[in-house]
Amino acid sequence: MSTLIVVDQAPYGSWTGREALDMTLSLAAFDQPAALLFTGAGVNWLRTGQAPEHVGQKSAEKNLSAAPIFGVEELLACSESCQRYGLDDANMIGGINQVASTAETMNRYHQVVFAG
Amino acid sequence: MNEQHEHTPTLHILNKAPKHPRFAACLGTLGAEDVLVLSENAVLGLADQQSRLPDGCLALEADLAARGLNESFQKQAISYADLVKLTEQHSRIISW
Repeated sequence: MSTLIVVDQAPYGSWTGREALDMTLSLAAFDQPAALLFTGAGVNWLRTGQAPEHVGQKSAEKNLSAAPIFGVEELLACSESCQRYGLDDANMIGGINQVASTAETMNRYHQVVFAG
Repeated sequence: MNEQHEHTPTLHILNKAPKHPRFAACLGTLGAEDVLVLSENAVLGLADQQSRLPDGCLALEADLAARGLNESFQKQAISYADLVKLTEQHSRIISW
């Protein structure tokens, strides 16, 4: 049974997104099917060129790129939220599938966990 | 990827205070056959005059007690063991 982890909060203001990423990679590492959905301000995790060392944090960009290697089934993003925050294929990290409806995506999973 | 399960009765576990955006998001998603359990700061929703919670809404008694709400809301109170039973009875769970 696959678990959908939903990230709806912006990066670097709190640890919740980082914890969600850790949870997802841990699940996948133990052969528990997992997928990530970024929605709302959470889509800002997906922007290329983040340099969080300026605020004393590490970039999640490499971790997200490694997600498929760990066995994370899918990286999903709410298309409306991407539009709102000015994200498109040109400035978003690769391998993200945009979905039109967050609610419909959540309906496809039996286990849904919000980060933080 | 799982198939569509639009009518699967769902257990919603909500731990956000009434002002948190996810509190409203959760209430907006509830289906007629779904069960809502309030935990942590979400139990304040029972005391909040502005929150409209569904009939049959439940709340963890430890969190009610911690906030001085267990006497007013005994009808809604469930134990941790009850929550575990609910997770067994529902194949679909959303932790908000």
